[in-house]
Amino acid sequence: MSFEGHLFLALLEGTVTGFVLALTALGLSLVFGVMRIVNVAHGEFFMLGAVIAWYFSTMPGGFLPALVAAPLLVGGVAFLADRLVLRRIEYKPESTIVATIGLLYIIQQLVLTVYGPYARPVAAPVYFRIDFPWFGYSGYKLVVAGVSAALLVATWLVLSRTTLGLYMRATQQDREMAQAFGVSVHRVYALVFSLGAGLAAIAGALVVPVQQAHYLMGLDALLMSFIVVIIGGLGSLGGTLAAAFLIGMSDGLVSVFFSPTLAKIIATLLVALVLVLRTGGLFGEEGT
Amino acid sequence: MRRTRARAVWALHLAILLLFAGLQFVVPPFHQIMLARIMALAVYAIGYNVLLGYAGLMSLGHAMFFASGMYATGLTILHFGFGAGAAFGLGVLAGAIMATAIGLVTLRASGVSFLIVTMMFSQAFYLATLYFNEITMGDQGFIISGRLQPLVAGGREFPFSDPAVKYNLALVVFALSLMLSVWLTRSPIGRVLVAVRENEERTRLLGYNTSSYKLLALIVSGSLAGASGSIYTLMFSYAGSSFASILFSIYPLLWALLGGTGTTLGPLLGTALMTYVVDIASGLTSSYLLVVGATLVILIMWFPAGVMGGIRARWVRWLP
Amino acid sequence: MGEVAAVTRLLETTALSKTFGGLEAVRRVDFRLERGEIRAIIGPNGAGKTTLVSMISGRIGPTSGRVLFKGRDITGLKAWDRVALGIVYTFQVTSIFKNLTVYENVALAAQRRLMKGALGRLTLPQHILAEPVNRALAQVGLADVGEQDAGSLPYGHQKLLEVAMALALRPEMLILDEPTQGLAPEEITALSLLIRALSRGVTILLIEHNMAVVLDLATKVTVMDKGGLLAEGTPYEIETHPDVQKVYLGL
Repeated sequence: MSFEGHLFLALLEGTVTGFVLALTALGLSLVFGVMRIVNVAHGEFFMLGAVIAWYFSTMPGGFLPALVAAPLLVGGVAFLADRLVLRRIEYKPESTIVATIGLLYIIQQLVLTVYGPYARPVAAPVYFRIDFPWFGYSGYKLVVAGVSAALLVATWLVLSRTTLGLYMRATQQDREMAQAFGVSVHRVYALVFSLGAGLAAIAGALVVPVQQAHYLMGLDALLMSFIVVIIGGLGSLGGTLAAAFLIGMSDGLVSVFFSPTLAKIIATLLVALVLVLRTGGLFGEEGT
Repeated sequence: MRRTRARAVWALHLAILLLFAGLQFVVPPFHQIMLARIMALAVYAIGYNVLLGYAGLMSLGHAMFFASGMYATGLTILHFGFGAGAAFGLGVLAGAIMATAIGLVTLRASGVSFLIVTMMFSQAFYLATLYFNEITMGDQGFIISGRLQPLVAGGREFPFSDPAVKYNLALVVFALSLMLSVWLTRSPIGRVLVAVRENEERTRLLGYNTSSYKLLALIVSGSLAGASGSIYTLMFSYAGSSFASILFSIYPLLWALLGGTGTTLGPLLGTALMTYVVDIASGLTSSYLLVVGATLVILIMWFPAGVMGGIRARWVRWLP
Repeated sequence: MGEVAAVTRLLETTALSKTFGGLEAVRRVDFRLERGEIRAIIGPNGAGKTTLVSMISGRIGPTSGRVLFKGRDITGLKAWDRVALGIVYTFQVTSIFKNLTVYENVALAAQRRLMKGALGRLTLPQHILAEPVNRALAQVGLADVGEQDAGSLPYGHQKLLEVAMALALRPEMLILDEPTQGLAPEEITALSLLIRALSRGVTILLIEHNMAVVLDLATKVTVMDKGGLLAEGTPYEIETHPDVQKVYLGL
């Protein structure tokens, strides 16, 4: 295939990746921004969505109901985690990290026990091919991109137009103020955490016909989400989107032209440097 | 009163070391290897604890330092035929250099940022070991037993394949690390580190350049981790990427938390307990990492001080 | 005369300013402090008193201007190096190490001077350290609570602990940021006596709201308002100063 062909493929892949990544990372960004905690188990919510989607695909109803069931179920798991664990440790930053690392292993290993170590494919619900001059491209991937975009818009609407969104933005801006105005911060936290998990779960479910469901797939999703959120800025929808595309594109380009491992190395180092160089640290409160 | 405390502290630690020295003669071979492994890894945990328990910095990237020691030792033996002593020295040095480099870049951040930054650098390091797999052999790793020369002392040869050699090598390095950590906590530097952990700004206004102290803690921590990696390679003749993975960065955190951060004996206890628990669990199920997860959650929710921390608070207040 | 004055002047700031975002907290302040003074800085909240002394002690860096100590420009010097020169600052809200014992708190301060060279950093015999620690504790009257956790001390004693830590650092210039705040009347009296006793060897710079203490202790008073120096003089002169009265009437 010619160079333009490779380039176009890389850009196309990058776009799809960008949308999915934005959806996956959005949940993490919201949790970061509103709750000011790092949820290391975020990738596992993504993985759970994929695994649940696989289970649905083996049942009479088929794959599609999973797109509703997965976020609900995974959101429920997240809600429990928040109530039972996070609230108990009072959302202290370093304790939360340790606790969510623990959650990561608990969820991951439970899935390993029930689902097994194998990667299992799921047939795409719609199958059509779009023919470009250089190659044929999976139509489903474009559907995924489209659905992700729609969900992103929906989330933006919730954030900017609804009361819940207002509460979330208020809590993110100034927690004490929001509390003074009668916002139940704990309830907002529970909802945000569940919402974040749900978004990751849908992303996982959407992606499973393309990627196959495997109990370790959460780790990659976590790393990429981290990268997007740190570069894009906490809790910023626009920033998350922009960063997701940047990362998606460059990942696509480097992967196609060089190697996926190298792409990940560069992305990881980039995040570390951004974090080090950014004055004010992660939440904008460190340093003088 | 302080002088008797000093005596009690040194006596206690010496007793523990003598206990371990004696155990090799009474326990069956399986446990002999387990204990040797525990001692080697406890050095890693002790190093981690210098940073977390005493300077108050939580890192998720220590596998980077462990693996630096491991590869420095393993590669120089495999490709250049280095002797064990020189290779070990290089391993410690590799840990120190890595820690210095990382420290100069990352110590501007603190708290959660420091944690994520160390995790990212460590992950990049891990991916690099996979990427450069012509050298490192990636996940598969490489074996050095073919080229590893026995130790020579007093006219006698001590091959590394001999379990007694492995055990006592680990014992010696562990003993040195333990004593180093006890001395550190009782020294002026250790006092400053604790102060930095408790209230950094106040410490600065007492005349201490806190950034230098944090860097020092990181270098000591990284050197100990490198030493642990180096010893591990010498003992088990193997080096591989898995020791650079995030899981291997999480282990010392787990061991230190379980045993009790901010205590000198906590790291040993946590390493010993968890190594046995994981060993037993892995015999029962392939999802044995569940115990890692469950332990972390339980610890952080109900026992943040760990075992030794709890003992110190309730009964033995003079434990360092 | 001019040269002699320059030699004895302990502290001087030239056009020292600090702006936070859009807010000018300290505006081009020329502040002078001579050896042996007990200088009180007074002024309404937000006048810039703490910001000014924070720049003198090195806690924060100035936006512009210079700080000179004993004729030497220390504007770029970090806080910890200024301590070595003899500039010691105690916090407005007690900033002791709550989880350490009283003894350990003061030991941290005392050991700084003893950590000379590599060996001094690596090891320090207890009996050498104990001497300055016990002396400082005795000076403030906390000699018998050495083994207690600092956080369990009553507030007034925590303030004394702060002073003990400052003393263990052997200051030439001691900056006390609202030392009597939150203290009971007897404690205020005791602390005033202590400050006066200390002033025989140490120059004292004192931020205070308590006018009785100021009138009692201060050899000279500086009044700040809205980031600038409003007036300077003896306590009596300041008390009767029309501008000062206007500013304080608005309190």
